[in-house]
Amino acid sequence: MSKPGVKTSHAGTPFVWIVKRDSVSRKQAYLVRAAAILGALMLGAALFLAMGHNPIMIYRDMLTGSLGRTLARTETVRIAIPLLVTALGIGLAFKMRFWNIGAEGQIIMGATAASYFALFSGVPGPYLLFVMFFAAIAAGGLWGLIPAVFKSKWNTNETLFTLMLNYIALEFVRYLQFGPWRDPRLRGFPSIAMFDQAARLPRVFGVHIGWIFALILVAIVYIYMKKTRHGYEITVVGESIPTARYAGINVGRVFLRTMFLSGAICGLTGFLIVSGANFTLSEMVTGGVGFTAITVAWLSRLNPAVMIIFSLFIAMLQRGANAVQTTFRIPSSAADILIGFILFFILGCEFFLNYKLVFRKKVK
Amino acid sequence: MKKAITLLLALAMIFALAACDANAPGSAAEVTRENLKVGMVHISELGDQGFTFNHDQGARKMIADLGLSMDQYIPKFNVSPADITATKAAIVELIDAGCQIIFATSFGYNVAMTESAREFPNIIFCHATGFDAHSAGLSNLHNYFAKIHQARYLAGIAAGLKTENNRLGYVAAHPFSEVISGYTAFYLGALSVNPDVTMDVIYINSWGDARLEREAAEALIARGVDVLSQHSDGIAPALAAQDAGIWHVGYNNDMSTVAPDASLLSPRIDWGVYMTFAVQSLLDGNPLPVDWGTGIETGAAFLSPLNTAVAAPGTQEAIDKAFQEILDGKMIFSGALVDNDGNPAQITNFAGDVIFTFTDENSYFVESDVYSAPSFNAILKGINIIS
Repeated sequence: MSKPGVKTSHAGTPFVWIVKRDSVSRKQAYLVRAAAILGALMLGAALFLAMGHNPIMIYRDMLTGSLGRTLARTETVRIAIPLLVTALGIGLAFKMRFWNIGAEGQIIMGATAASYFALFSGVPGPYLLFVMFFAAIAAGGLWGLIPAVFKSKWNTNETLFTLMLNYIALEFVRYLQFGPWRDPRLRGFPSIAMFDQAARLPRVFGVHIGWIFALILVAIVYIYMKKTRHGYEITVVGESIPTARYAGINVGRVFLRTMFLSGAICGLTGFLIVSGANFTLSEMVTGGVGFTAITVAWLSRLNPAVMIIFSLFIAMLQRGANAVQTTFRIPSSAADILIGFILFFILGCEFFLNYKLVFRKKVK
Repeated sequence: MKKAITLLLALAMIFALAACDANAPGSAAEVTRENLKVGMVHISELGDQGFTFNHDQGARKMIADLGLSMDQYIPKFNVSPADITATKAAIVELIDAGCQIIFATSFGYNVAMTESAREFPNIIFCHATGFDAHSAGLSNLHNYFAKIHQARYLAGIAAGLKTENNRLGYVAAHPFSEVISGYTAFYLGALSVNPDVTMDVIYINSWGDARLEREAAEALIARGVDVLSQHSDGIAPALAAQDAGIWHVGYNNDMSTVAPDASLLSPRIDWGVYMTFAVQSLLDGNPLPVDWGTGIETGAAFLSPLNTAVAAPGTQEAIDKAFQEILDGKMIFSGALVDNDGNPAQITNFAGDVIFTFTDENSYFVESDVYSAPSFNAILKGINIIS
């Protein structure tokens, strides 16, 4: 609405804009990250103080509650396993900038396929777990393949596509739970029967054997990404699709192949959850792992080895938050807020490590 | 090189975490009044003013009756039964916090409770409304319930006397024997004083969800019922009845405060009766029964005070009379009951096999006898399942 002829001082210049940083030294980066965690803890402390609790005691209990006792440690590892495996799966897709938000659905389909064989197949005991394992991988992979097919043929938006497939998978399990798979033994109550002993994973050091699967998978994914032509192609497609095409890479095929693998690994998570922890299938089989794992993958900057650390870190936070909920009788939502603070600060600082805000300068 | 170190470090970390033997948490140390801790897994929060509120009241009563301190009661709220991992984790946390006895309030915890009982043989597990203990063969797994069908029958009398158009409505949780037993008892109570009464039932497929409860209540009201009752955990049906100007019979909690013009009374469970008994037994070193279920004779099932400003004249007298009859041995599910096709009503077991048929006037089914959880699951004539 400025009058013609009168020159406003900031015509066309935004108040603030975002500029990519040139580079930040490694040491600086670690300092910023440490400051972010400290900032989140202090904000959390303010919250706990406002609720009338001593924040130092709460933090101490979070630590002992997640690491201090044997039972606590095994629980923490158990929470970390599905997070780690799923993050590995999502990471493959993210590396080629294919935003697979559909891990929840892929986990569910993997879990459902494994559960089918556990409940109804009659496969003899020693082979049952192998059959469940491969069924879960195949089902998760095929579920992951669907959005890749649509993306490579018709260039559909994979973020929305994978997200929507989650709801289809979820409603499918609900249908099974409330319909054909409902356990008749439960007098009409809608839940699915429990697995026999043969369909349950053995334990090693107090935690189901899935943690060994997860560590082996870290090595496999690491080598696949760094040392193979497939891994190289994924990286190139992620950097620039035109470049990849120019280099003679069949982009569509990379999408299909990688999404199958991504979904298959998420399907493996489903197998680990039903055969290692839950021993049955339910509509809440994922417990939100498919979304939390996105955070793990992102915090780890898609580095498989670092994912071990961050999946344990998130597991510690969840487990510790639950522990203080019990010992201090604070509502679970307050503990969740703390987790939210920490993740928000860490992810926020990653942004500021890469970008800076430039404010409009005053024109004299 | 740096990557290799990261990987090594991470491997060392996870190994250090995992490489500890995890056997026997919750040791067999003697339970005393001082070291006693009671854990409880709740499906919802106290704010539901219904099922969870009522179960928490039971725990508080137990603490008061036994002269314990509130620090010795460790509740876990909002634990979703469908999320088995989360339920097991909650149980482990309670054991980790020192609990020697754990109560879980909702049927759907059956898997997690049975699994945990197997895993922690030194901890006592008491599961309300479940029926796995009978066949699980675990000495530390117990089921408990109250013979709530008796109180529902009595509450049905108030509804049968109050209705003006002889149409009752019922917001029901799951199509499941616990729920069917409850609404059938309510219906039979109404029928005992009003032979023309019929009842519409809508299932919400959830134990409690304010929106679903409200929607079902409004659908029933739109169908023309004038007394509404419920087997759902919240107060939404009471509020819907209040808003629509019809009458209401609650569950779990006295709902006359939230729906003063609608609420007639509520059949309630005093969970404290069992909890006190169970914890006292643990302290005394006495074994608990596998299944425990008592009714109006112990006060485990009871009625909230009748809202005399709303109830039909003579309601209290009719209830008192029936109360005495039940004490004297009257069975709620008795007589030549028939289903909607006019055939003798039949009760089926887990496998769908008929275990009982109401052949004649002298037939009676003893509810909550072997299992504390209700077994009656026939749909009687006069009860219309809408959805």
